[in-house]
Amino acid sequence: MNYLTEERMNALSAEYALGSLQGPARMRFKKLLLSHTQLRHCVWRWEAYLGKLAEAIPGEAPSPKVWPRIEKRLNFSAQDYAQSSRAAEVVSFAEHTQKQKTPKPSIRWTLVAAVAASFFAVALAFLLNPLPPAEPREVAIVQSSQAEALWLIELTAERLHVQVAPSLKPISDKDYELWMLAPDGRAPVSLGVLPKTGRMELARHPLFDEMKIAMIAVSLEPLGGSPSGSPTEVLYTAELVTL
Amino acid sequence: MSADEHFRLLSNTAQGDQAAFSRLYELTSARLLAVSLQILGSRDLAEDALQDAFVKIWHNAGEYQRSKGEVLAWMISIVRYRAIDMIRSAKSRKESSSDETPEGVCDDYSPDQALAVDREKAAIDDCMHSHLDKQQQNVIELAYFKGFTHSEIVTQTQHPLGSVKSWIRRGLKLLQRCIER
Repeated sequence: MNYLTEERMNALSAEYALGSLQGPARMRFKKLLLSHTQLRHCVWRWEAYLGKLAEAIPGEAPSPKVWPRIEKRLNFSAQDYAQSSRAAEVVSFAEHTQKQKTPKPSIRWTLVAAVAASFFAVALAFLLNPLPPAEPREVAIVQSSQAEALWLIELTAERLHVQVAPSLKPISDKDYELWMLAPDGRAPVSLGVLPKTGRMELARHPLFDEMKIAMIAVSLEPLGGSPSGSPTEVLYTAELVTL
Repeated sequence: MSADEHFRLLSNTAQGDQAAFSRLYELTSARLLAVSLQILGSRDLAEDALQDAFVKIWHNAGEYQRSKGEVLAWMISIVRYRAIDMIRSAKSRKESSSDETPEGVCDDYSPDQALAVDREKAAIDDCMHSHLDKQQQNVIELAYFKGFTHSEIVTQTQHPLGSVKSWIRRGLKLLQRCIER
């Protein structure tokens, strides 16, 4: 497309990130960003360059009322914090015990019991708990080659809800990334890095409203997600089924 | 503040860890507010933009990829775009209703003054000052720090639109060449 010659793409990305691209041109550019991976990368590069300018500005502490407002908007509760902290404690405990070359038998069995208990709890949670209270629309189950469920993905009117299944055996130095495969043959579009435990919500990508997306894919990536903007190694694909 | 610490906290945030998100807020909110404040001028509006940005960061944490640059730069771009949207929407409301300045938005701020305060010697800073002329620096700073449009820069600087556009375009090219060398 002539509109997207490399030089033009670079110039538009720079002005978009700077903020000087405005009005209808900015809106058109935002639409182009949805479908052009290379263009998104160009914008990210400029955001990173220009972000350095802003990083140098002396900070300005927000008033204490801001954080409670954010918590309220995100429906955070004290119970959720406690769960977060407990999860962190379990991780540090596991990290601590891994450092001991030969743990005492009693500690080893305590660990085994703790792991078994948490496995059972996660399995129960996965099987018994309902997904977040939004109207379900489309669902996909990402399965391993042995047909074990790994992630349950539910697309609602506003969000993409993801829940990890107990069968997932995460790799600590890798991440899994979710992609949508559009029927028009465009490059896979990233929906975000998948959780390795628990649940997570991702934003509903605007492309879901523009065309019928029937397939999704999961790739194996370095920590933080695909460095290239394209899937590094596609592991699984799954069909989105309308309920 | 290490970029690795930000990355670790954002990764945990993506897994729904509220404590990590709270810590990320503690570490970065002052920087993000400063950016927002420079564009919006009003503390109330800037804190609204900050709130919106952190809500978005919570929801989009899983979408961050290292290829998007460092976590802080990614977060700054989120708050900047929000602040720019807010200031432009306030300005369009102002243009369609009256000539009054939107409440709390002040116009007496000079980007040069703010930039002069204790700036880190970042590579981009060196590039800005060693490779760009004064006019190019000025228009880029007005666009970046105040969220000015081309026509607002014309009003501010009293230079023709063609020159402003050309300084921005040329300045950005020089900046890129310097950073990537």
